[in-house]
Amino acid sequence: MKDIFVLIEHRRGEMRDVSVEMLCGAGKLGGTVVAVLLGKDVDAFADKAAGYADKVLYVNDAMFENYNSELYQKALSALIKEHGPGLVLMGNTAQGVDLAPALAVELGAPLVTDVTAVEMDGDKPKPTRTFYGGKLDAHLAMKDADLYILTIREATFQAEDPSKSGEIVKVDNPVSEDVAYRKFVEYVEPEVGDVDITQSTLLVGVGRGIREDKNMPVVEELAQAIGADLAASRAVVDAGWLPSDRQVGISGKTVKPKLYLAVGISGAFQHVTGMKGSEVIVAINKDPDAPIFGIADYGIVDDLFKVVPKLVEKIKELKGA
Amino acid sequence: MCAEELDFVEKYDLLGCIQCGRCTGGCPVALRTDLRVRCFMYDTQNEERLEEISEKPEIWDCTTCYTCAARCPKGLEPLEVLIGLRSLQIEEGKVQPTVRDALESIFKDGNPWGSPRAKRLDWASDLDVKVLEPEAEETTDVLLFICCTDCYDPRVMKVAQALIKVLNAAGVDYGLIGEDESCCGSEVRRLGEEGLFEMCDEENVELLNSFNVNRIVAISPHCYNTLKKEYHGLKVPVLHYTELVAELLEEGKLEIPKEIAKVVTYHDPCFLGKQNDIYDEPRYIITRIPGVEFKEFDRCRERSLCCEGGGGKMWVESESKEERLAEIRIEDAKEMGAQVVAVACPFCLLTLEDATKVKGVEEEMQVMDILELLAEAL
Amino acid sequence: MNMVVCVKRVPDTSESEVHIDASGKDIDKSRLSFGINECDNYAVEEAIQIKERLEGNVTVISLGGKDSDEVIRMALAKGGDDAIRLEDDAFAGGDALAVAKALAGAVKGLEYDIVFTGALTDDDGYAAVPVALAELLGVPHATYVKKVEILEPGKKAKVGRELEGGLMEFLEIDMPCVLGIQTGINEPRYASFKGIKQAAKKEIAVKSAADLGLDAADIGEAGSWAVLEQFTPPVVGEMAEILEGEPDETAAKLAGILKEKGLV
Ligand SMILES: Cc1cc2nc3c(=O)[nH]c(=O)nc-3n(C[C@H](O)[C@H](O)[C@H](O)COP(=O)(O)OP(=O)(O)OC[C@H]3O[C@@H](n4cnc5c(N)ncnc54)[C@H](O)[C@@H]3O)c2cc1C
Ligand code: SF4
Ligand code: SF4
Repeated sequence: MKDIFVLIEHRRGEMRDVSVEMLCGAGKLGGTVVAVLLGKDVDAFADKAAGYADKVLYVNDAMFENYNSELYQKALSALIKEHGPGLVLMGNTAQGVDLAPALAVELGAPLVTDVTAVEMDGDKPKPTRTFYGGKLDAHLAMKDADLYILTIREATFQAEDPSKSGEIVKVDNPVSEDVAYRKFVEYVEPEVGDVDITQSTLLVGVGRGIREDKNMPVVEELAQAIGADLAASRAVVDAGWLPSDRQVGISGKTVKPKLYLAVGISGAFQHVTGMKGSEVIVAINKDPDAPIFGIADYGIVDDLFKVVPKLVEKIKELKGA
Repeated sequence: MCAEELDFVEKYDLLGCIQCGRCTGGCPVALRTDLRVRCFMYDTQNEERLEEISEKPEIWDCTTCYTCAARCPKGLEPLEVLIGLRSLQIEEGKVQPTVRDALESIFKDGNPWGSPRAKRLDWASDLDVKVLEPEAEETTDVLLFICCTDCYDPRVMKVAQALIKVLNAAGVDYGLIGEDESCCGSEVRRLGEEGLFEMCDEENVELLNSFNVNRIVAISPHCYNTLKKEYHGLKVPVLHYTELVAELLEEGKLEIPKEIAKVVTYHDPCFLGKQNDIYDEPRYIITRIPGVEFKEFDRCRERSLCCEGGGGKMWVESESKEERLAEIRIEDAKEMGAQVVAVACPFCLLTLEDATKVKGVEEEMQVMDILELLAEAL
Repeated sequence: MNMVVCVKRVPDTSESEVHIDASGKDIDKSRLSFGINECDNYAVEEAIQIKERLEGNVTVISLGGKDSDEVIRMALAKGGDDAIRLEDDAFAGGDALAVAKALAGAVKGLEYDIVFTGALTDDDGYAAVPVALAELLGVPHATYVKKVEILEPGKKAKVGRELEGGLMEFLEIDMPCVLGIQTGINEPRYASFKGIKQAAKKEIAVKSAADLGLDAADIGEAGSWAVLEQFTPPVVGEMAEILEGEPDETAAKLAGILKEKGLV
C-alpha cells in the first residue's frame, strides 16, 4: 500500500487537534503514515507529530509562518509529486476546505470533503459523508486514480496516546518564490463584550425558569465554564435581565451554534424557530413535557438550580484534566 | 417607483383629514410607543418626504387594530397610510430579517412559520378528519379554513383540535383542505407586501372555489376578515367559527352536558369585533356553558383593548419599556377575579397567555380559546 | 466592477423529514419546498452591495432546470443585471468538481473582477465549488469569506475568512478572483413579489454543455471526483435522549457528552 500523507494543521503556535486525530486514524488504514508539516520554527509540532507518524516531512521556512493556501498548494503539490503518496488527508477545516479542492484540480486527484468515515479497498478509499445537513449518510465510490484526497471532519477519528517515533526529515522548501496575489494580513480576534449571538459557536440560552435577576450568576457561570455566550428567551429580555440583542426567536435573532444549551426555557414555538438549526441542542427543564425536549438531542429533567451548579463543577473537572 | 404608486394624497384621501386627532387619541399603541398616526396623515401629503417618512420605525408599531379608522369622523383609514409606507420599505427590500423570513416562508411554504407544507396537517394526525377533494360530486356543508398558526404552533393546535371535537359533537358535515392550504395573507397585506398578498388572493380564491361546499368557516378572525372582505371572487359565504357554533347551539344541534364553574371573561379580538361587528356570538356561546359566571372587561366590545398580536406584530418587536397591552389586559382580568380569559383568535391566545406568565398569574388564570372551553364542557 | 454570482436552487430540508427514494441514490423531493441555497443568498447580497457602492454589473449564473429561474429572478429582483442558466441532461449527477467545470465554462466567456459563490451548499455540503472553480479559471481564491473590502476596484480586495471559534483571517487578494461567501457576512434584503415579477421580464440566457464547449465525458457523473453509491439514514433518535439519575449523575453524563462531542 502506498503512503498516506497527513497535513498537520497549526495556527498561532498551536497544533490543532484534528491533526493528531487524522494521524491516529490514518494509522488504522494501513500503509506508512507521513505527517507533512509546513511552518516556521515549529520543531515542537514536528516532535509531537513524530509520536503518531512513521515519518515527518518538515519544511521550515518563513513563508509558512501563517497559512496561505496558495503557498501550501505549491509546496504540497511538489512534495506529493516527489514522494508519490496514494492518499492525502487534511482537516475539513477553514484551512483544509480553502486548499484541498484547488490541489485536487491541479493534480487531477479525486477529492471527497467532509468525510465522517472511511474504509480502504486496497489503495482506494471508500468514504462516507453526510448530505442534507446531517439528515442522510452518503456512501461514495471514488474514481480510479493514483492519488486520492480526503478532508476529514473533526472528531471523526479518535485521538490516542502517542505510540510511534517517526523519523523527522527536514526538507528544503520546494517553493522558491512567495506569491503576490494572495497575502496574509492579520488575524483578528472576535470582538469581546459586544457579543453577536448569531456568530457564537456555543450558546447557553436562559429562560424564565431562572426566575429572578439575582439568579443570573447561575447561568453566567455555566456559560463561562463552557466558553459559551448567553442567549435568552423573550421572557428574560423583557424582564431586563439580558439586553435585547440576546433574544433568540421570531422577534429576536436566529442562531445556529454548534451547541445550544437551553436552561429553563419551555421551548415555545416562537423561541424554537430561532434556534432549531443548532447542531446539538441540550435542554435542562423540570417539566418532562416541556416542548423543548421535542427538539433537543439530550435532556435533563430536573431543577436547574440543582443541576447547573453540578454541571459547572463537572465541566471544570473535565477541562482541568 | 412610478409616480402613481406614490400618490398618497389621492389614494388615502389625505386632504379630507381635519387633523382632529381622534385617531391618535384612540390608538392603543400610542400608549407605549412613539406612533402618532395623525401626524402621518399630515406629513405624507408632501410626496417628496414619503421616502424619508417611510424610514421611521414607528410605522411598524401599528397593530392594524382599526380603532383609528373606527373613530375617524371623516371616515378615513389612517392605518392604511402606515401600511402604504410599509409598502415603500418592502419595495426597497428594507425590512427586518424576521419579517423577511416570514414573507419568504409564505412564498415558499404557504405559511409564515418557516415550516414545511408536509407538516401542515400534523395537528390533526390523531384525528379522523375528511380532507376535501377538489371538484367533488358531493357537496360538503362546511369547508374549514385553518390558520397557519393553528396548524403549526403546538399551543394553538389545541384550538383546532377542539374545533374538530365540537363539530363532531354537533354532527356537522365538514372537510379540511389539507396540505394545499396556504396562508390567507392577512398579515402579508398589513406588512405592506401588496404583490404577495395579490398572489395569496388569486391562488386561494382559485383553490377555495374548486371545492364543492356551501360555506367556508375560518378559525382565525384574521383569515375570516381577509377571506370575507379582501378576497376577490369567492363563490361561497365566509363565516367565523363563532357564528357557526352559535348557530349550532341555537338550532339545538350542539348540547353542552358538562358544567364549568368558573369566572370567565372574554377579550374581543379586534378583527372580529371592531372590524366585523361580531360581538354577540362569542358571548352567547360562553354564557350557554353551564356553570360559567360571565364578567365583562370594563373596556369591551367596540372599546376593547388591542392585544398587539396583529398587523404583522408577531414579527416586529416595538421599542418600548412600557407595559405590553396584553399585560394591562391580564391585570384588568385579575382585578375582576377572572379565572379564564376566553379569546377567539390565535394571536390573542398567544399574547395574553404570555402576559399571564409575565404577571405571574398563570397558576390562577387560564387563557383559553372559546373552543377549548367548549370542548372541555362536552 | 464586473461581478458574477453563482446560485443554486436547493430543497429546503431543514425542517422536513428526508426520505430516501427507491433508487437509494436520491431523496423523495415531492413534498419539499425549494429555494436559494442559504450561502448563495448572502453572496448575491454582497455582490449587489458592492455594485451599489462602486457601480458595475452583476451576472447571475445557475446550473439547473427551468425551476431554477425562480431563484435567478429573485437575485435579479434584488439588483442583478443579467442571467445565465446552464441546462443539459449531461450535467446530471455531477459533484462539486463537475459543477465547477460547468460554471468555469460559463464564467470564462465573461469579463469579471470577482466571482461570488456560496461557501457551501445545503444539500450535498461539499464546500468545494468556489476553490475548484478558481483553480479551473486560474485565478486566486478565498473561501469561508465573511468580510469583503474593495481596496482598488478591479485590482485588489481585502477579505476576512472565518476560521474556527470566530477568529478572522484577513488577507489581500488580487482580482480577478473567486470568493466563497459564508452566511452572516451581511443581511440579505427582501425581494418583493412585485420586484420578482418585474425581473421576469429580463431575459435568462440558457446554455447547454455544447454551448460552453464542454465534453460530456468531462461533466455530470462522468466528470466527477466521486459518485454516490447509496444513501442510508443516520442513526439518531427523534426525542431528546433523557439523561437519568440524580443531579450529580446527570450533570456528569452531560459533561461527558459535551466533552466527547468536542463542545467543551
Ligand atoms: C408575538 C410574539 C412574539 C414572540 N417572540 C418571541 C421571541 O422572539 N423569542 C422568544 O423567546 N419568545 C418569544 N415570544 C414569547 C414566547 O411565546 C414564550 O412566551 C417565551 O419564549 C417563553 O419564554 P421561556 O421559555 O423563557 O418561559 P416559559 O415558557 O415560562 O418557560 C419557563 C420554563 O422553565 C421551566 N422551569 C421553571 N423553573 C425551573 C427550574 N427551577 N428548573 C428547571 N426548569 C424550570 C419551566 O418548566 C418552563 O418550561 C413571543 C410571543 C409572542 C406572542
Ligand atoms: S381621526 Fe380622521 S380626521 Fe381626525 S386626525 Fe385622524 S385621520 Fe384625520
Ligand atoms: S390601527 Fe390601531 S394601532 Fe394602528 S394606528 Fe390605528 S389605532 Fe393605532
